Amino acid sequence: MGHFNNFMQRPLSRREMLGICKGGFGALAFTSLFGVLPFGCDRPKNSAAETGLSLGPHYMPKAKNIIFLYMDGGVSQVDSFDPKPRLAKENGEDPKKKFKVDATQFDNVGKILKSPWEFKQYGECGMPVSSLFPHIATCVDDIALIRSMTSNFPEHTNANYFLHTGSGIQGRPSMGSWMTYGLGSENKNIPGYVVLDGGLIPPGGLDNFKNGFLPASYQASILRTGVEPVANIKPLERVKNLQEEKLQFIKQLDNSLIGKMGEVDAVESAISNYELAYKMQSSIPELTEFKEESKATKKLYGFDSDDPHTRGYAAQCLLARRLVERGVRFIELTCPKVAADRWDQHSNLRDGHERNAHAVDQPIAGLLKDLKSRGMLEDTLVVWTGEFGRTPFAQGTDGRDHNPSAFSMWMAGAGVKGGTIFGKTDEYGYRVIENEVTIHDLHATIMHLMGINHEQLTFRFGGRDMRLTDVHGHVMKDILA
Amino acid sequence: MVFSQKRNIVIAIGSLCLLISSCGDNTQFSEPLPETVDFNFHIRPILVQNCYLCHGPDASGRKAELRLDTYEGATALLKEGGHAIVPGKPSKSQLIYRINHEAEDMVMPPPDSNYKLTIREKALLEKWIDQGAEWKSHWAFIKPETEIAHNESKAIDSLINMRIQQKGLMKSSQADKNTLIRRVSYLLTGLPPSPEDVQHFIADTSKDAYENMVDSYLNSTGYGERWARHWMDLVRYAETKGHEFDYPIVGAYKYRDYLIRAFNQDLPYDQLLREHLAGDLLEEPRENKEMDISESPMGTAFYVMGEGKHSPVDIKKEEADRIDNMIDVTSKTFQGLTVSCAKCHDHKFDPISADDYYALYGIMESTRFAPIADISMTTRQTAEEIQDLNLYMRKIIADSWTQKDVQEMTASGELQKKDLPRDAPFKIIGDFRNSNFDGWITNGLAFGKRTTLGNPLVDKTSGKLLGLDEGRASSKTLGTGVLGSLQSPNFILDTDYIGVRARGMHSTIRIIIDNFQLIQNPIYGELEQQINAKAWNNYVFDISPWKGHKAYIEILPGGYKGHYYSLPENAFIEAQYAVTYDTEWPVEMKRPINGKPVEKEDWPTLDLSAGLVKGLNQKLKEGRLPSKFPELATAMDSNRQLVEKLDSDSFFYAITDGFGINSPVFNRGDHNDLLEEDIPRRFLSALPLGNVPFTSKGSGRLELAEAMLNEENPLTARVMVNRIWHHLFGKGIVETVDNFGLQGKLPSHPELLDYLAIKFQKEEWSIKKMVRSIVTSQAFKRSTARNDELTSKDPNNIYLASFPVRRLQAEAIRDGVLAVSGSLDSTMYGPPVKTYLTEFMQGRGRPNQSGPMDGAGRRSIYQEVRRNFLEPMMVTFDRPIPFSTFGNRNVTNVPAQSLTLMNDPFIAQQAQIMAEKLLAQKELTFDQKIEWIYRRTFSRKPNPEEINKAKQFISGLRKMESASKTDSDIEILIWKDFCHSIFNLKEFIYLI
Repeated sequence: MGHFNNFMQRPLSRREMLGICKGGFGALAFTSLFGVLPFGCDRPKNSAAETGLSLGPHYMPKAKNIIFLYMDGGVSQVDSFDPKPRLAKENGEDPKKKFKVDATQFDNVGKILKSPWEFKQYGECGMPVSSLFPHIATCVDDIALIRSMTSNFPEHTNANYFLHTGSGIQGRPSMGSWMTYGLGSENKNIPGYVVLDGGLIPPGGLDNFKNGFLPASYQASILRTGVEPVANIKPLERVKNLQEEKLQFIKQLDNSLIGKMGEVDAVESAISNYELAYKMQSSIPELTEFKEESKATKKLYGFDSDDPHTRGYAAQCLLARRLVERGVRFIELTCPKVAADRWDQHSNLRDGHERNAHAVDQPIAGLLKDLKSRGMLEDTLVVWTGEFGRTPFAQGTDGRDHNPSAFSMWMAGAGVKGGTIFGKTDEYGYRVIENEVTIHDLHATIMHLMGINHEQLTFRFGGRDMRLTDVHGHVMKDILA
Repeated sequence: MVFSQKRNIVIAIGSLCLLISSCGDNTQFSEPLPETVDFNFHIRPILVQNCYLCHGPDASGRKAELRLDTYEGATALLKEGGHAIVPGKPSKSQLIYRINHEAEDMVMPPPDSNYKLTIREKALLEKWIDQGAEWKSHWAFIKPETEIAHNESKAIDSLINMRIQQKGLMKSSQADKNTLIRRVSYLLTGLPPSPEDVQHFIADTSKDAYENMVDSYLNSTGYGERWARHWMDLVRYAETKGHEFDYPIVGAYKYRDYLIRAFNQDLPYDQLLREHLAGDLLEEPRENKEMDISESPMGTAFYVMGEGKHSPVDIKKEEADRIDNMIDVTSKTFQGLTVSCAKCHDHKFDPISADDYYALYGIMESTRFAPIADISMTTRQTAEEIQDLNLYMRKIIADSWTQKDVQEMTASGELQKKDLPRDAPFKIIGDFRNSNFDGWITNGLAFGKRTTLGNPLVDKTSGKLLGLDEGRASSKTLGTGVLGSLQSPNFILDTDYIGVRARGMHSTIRIIIDNFQLIQNPIYGELEQQINAKAWNNYVFDISPWKGHKAYIEILPGGYKGHYYSLPENAFIEAQYAVTYDTEWPVEMKRPINGKPVEKEDWPTLDLSAGLVKGLNQKLKEGRLPSKFPELATAMDSNRQLVEKLDSDSFFYAITDGFGINSPVFNRGDHNDLLEEDIPRRFLSALPLGNVPFTSKGSGRLELAEAMLNEENPLTARVMVNRIWHHLFGKGIVETVDNFGLQGKLPSHPELLDYLAIKFQKEEWSIKKMVRSIVTSQAFKRSTARNDELTSKDPNNIYLASFPVRRLQAEAIRDGVLAVSGSLDSTMYGPPVKTYLTEFMQGRGRPNQSGPMDGAGRRSIYQEVRRNFLEPMMVTFDRPIPFSTFGNRNVTNVPAQSLTLMNDPFIAQQAQIMAEKLLAQKELTFDQKIEWIYRRTFSRKPNPEEINKAKQFISGLRKMESASKTDSDIEILIWKDFCHSIFNLKEFIYLI
């Protein structure tokens, strides 16, 4: 980048300083761990030690990166990872005669509905998995399954916000924003928090990925897979270095503007966006060209599948691995747009779940295996979850309604005890009866694995020290290796 | 949310030290308690945050039968004895006792709720009770009050300055004139000022120079284009319906044009509101003489700007969702209330009940969707003339007949509806063989006011009366190709079939179930039939899958193809009757069946029975009545001429009024679980007139509008002035511009908000006057420069000691580029410019053809808004996704914005055009070139340093060009790069 170094520097803005200050970390040697700064938050040279302003993990992290596989719409737990033989026995009976049925989103409570899929035990651990996920089933010894998740919201949008931001309402920082705020990115040329858009932006929209009250630099960047992953990523200049020349000129004039008007966060952030935009021009295309990936790797992920959605999700998963290789802190994959409207099967459960599962199963298993064979699973945390589960009884005749009272999710990789099953639901898979894990607990645990004490990563906003976990959250020690 | 409320308290009380404290413990910074503790500003936020989940308005979740959202509740005798609050006696108040309790099972809020009161909050509660526990309604529900005269010219500044003084802040000085004109021009018109305007303003040293400059922008057409777009954010403006195939919202742009005209003409806001809610129902619709159209009905198009699914599995749910969106948008836009929260249960925080929601639901449910003719006044007049002529013709005939001629006939027996056996295997939904439409409603002009019964049939040349016409509903009363529809009342489907006896050309009969419009296969294809035969036929609809649903029958000339409605010139439709039945087409229907007996036949006023007409025809045939009327020939001729004068009307998609339906509450929001009692259509019960049921036979939308405009309504004016303030300062006095409820933010300047609200009403709801008052205040004219002290004392610029730095909105950036490059085409109005489709924009419903990359140089407001293919540049720069009301756009900072300005071919193209324009002026020196660019782009001259930097930059660029090119090519390229760089300066996209 030669003479262009100057272009990268930007002093910490006042708000960022304050925010960081309120984080109350003290001088932690995070640079010795990662040697990096939060993206868009370059610290003034030599000042960290003196001022005590630094971010970084609170203790040695198990995971450096997270791949968050978001199962938009809510996978049915009793059809995937939480087998309930009693449903088969009582198939077609009135659930209201069996247990108290909560009001559901649609209140169209049908009969008890057995799972259309068979469960079998897999791996050394013998974890049961339904025939929806034959590929993931081969990875169970790396997976810590939690069957006792709960959410506070039965509606998609609220539940999505809750899962993503720890609060059911719009406008809070997303967990990816918190992670990059706390830990920075290891790569200055790619944003630290990336959403790979598989085609479906979840209900609640892009606010699921926003920075909330954190500085704007911590919001997610949306990437698509494909030839040109990001619009306008190709410079138009006809002469080499011409763009650099122009950006240099722009930077000079912008800086003198800042000098004139005093400090303004937004304008500063806009200036720093140019740094990233510039760097993304080379880093992004390189990233999404899978040229150097072997045929075997691609096959592993499902690039040769007949199902275009499987191929699409395979590209996302492979891209996720490549982002991890480049130090991107938090990567979320949204669902592919299969015809059946994500996992939200209010009707046609069999068809919809099958289509969705088919799209993601092989790519996810491929991702886990690929990460493992490269030794990357040791410090990469893979998280698989929806925003809530589904009812064990039918909605109408062949669907399942939302169920926030119990659902299954799993984690694999860094710091996670593979082959474990944690928590328990009742005989119908309707409610949690043992070791409830809340969304706050999930956040606390993820942060713990990233080396962050969830009670200590805070940002002063409106006179209070804000947290991803609000005033809640317990680390689930039982699933930690 | 917990925290944002706390933030409000901090702001309201003015504690600034919290925000600037250094690391570590913050308790030492708590400020002294206010002298008088105010319920709204100090106490309610504590209660809302910590208590209302269990002790709030929603009875379903209430604990210990204690409610702390009303005074009565809070002071009532508790179950276990004592009172939560004893005014004036904190020591006797259980609330104080419990919040200070040390035992885990006694303390409130309970530890497992994870809510915890701070020491300060406890102290506030105690002091408030000590001071008498004065209870107030939520601030926004109290009518605004002010002691300041509405025309007091310094009022805004004195109210702003009062706060600034209280906080000990130092005001920034006034911005320079270049900054001011750029600020005013962009904020009022969304365009940069022309260099000539800037020059003129700088040179104008008169006392009123600023005011005159403001007025010139207020009066420019660009003003309406900017402020209409602000409004479009509120009503989720779009030209397609999204979902799978992105079907069109036909004629949406006419609503956009309506808005632009309304803002430019400064249509009073009360009228704008009225026209939105009920523009189709106004007794005297506002006419646009110049365009020869009626303006008012166009306002109602906002109702239909929502999304639409083509094959919802659950049609009733689809209706519920659409109505929910309409309630959401209507209540947020006009009242700043989130009424949709009460869909499933009483609002958790606001005094909005589920009953309120379903009162509004009934209003929306009674509203129907339809293509509406933008009928010109000429057409309407012509229609009147034709009808008058028909009357005249009847009268000529009637005058020649004696009373006896007619009376003889009245005795003839007629089959009455009441005579039908109770268990008749069919039901008559409408019989049009009599003189009226049997309780059906007509829209538009096509069907006229009556059926054809008794219309004279005349030989065109001789004028000889051949007979009187039979009765039928006909869309040809004025000729073919006239827009209008005939619709039945709602009825519940309880049979297998609907039958309609009809004939026509290029026309349609539709069964509208649960107001569902996007009729097509799969699932709903059966519900629509094309009528394309001139002979009478029985058209049968199998409606057996939808028993139990609400429906109506719609008969209309023209039809839908791909959900585009079109009306061919020769289209017409006529119907005799409509029935429902289970087995066979009812033979009884061969004879007309009267809905009600005709008590007194009155020929000239057309109150006839089919029997009478039949008898008269018989007499005519027998020559027992006079039949020679030469004047009829002349009348027929005039009629023909008038019909030819009729325009073939254009139309837009909007609404019509149906029959009033009261909706029951859906238990927990479930449309399949209805509570017994119907909630009468009415306004919100917490607001004035909110408990008065509407009496109109239709939807009651006009009554809704009048309730909102009632002078006791505390919200309507406040919400709108706050929006205006927001658009000018970038932040509302109430920051949550769409939520004035308990979860919204408290006003930063409550007195100012009230003053403006009252001023607004006293100045006849003039938006322009309000804009002018704000823009001419000192506060608006301040510089954005801030010293460190100001930044630390008021980091969020709540008190406006300086003008906030604002990034331009998406449209202003794009329009600014076009204006600066000189390629802006300022043509107003009309169909949208088709969306430019990049390869990123894929998916179902993708248009076959892309629009031009530069949007034909037209302003952004004229570019198409396709839900599934939103313009990337607009979205990137935060134009909201059109799904709900967005009064407050996000202002994000993402690399995609930089990439757009750096690499988007459109920006590069505009830089090229600008460079060509620059170099076309051959006489300019280098310095003058730079000056020319700066004046256009930044509305100021470059300073010597900038010229210097430009010189260096340009010479650097020149060195990079290969020697093989010609000089003039090189010049263009160099200056293009320079202009392109200029577009990328922050000064271009920010108002500094």
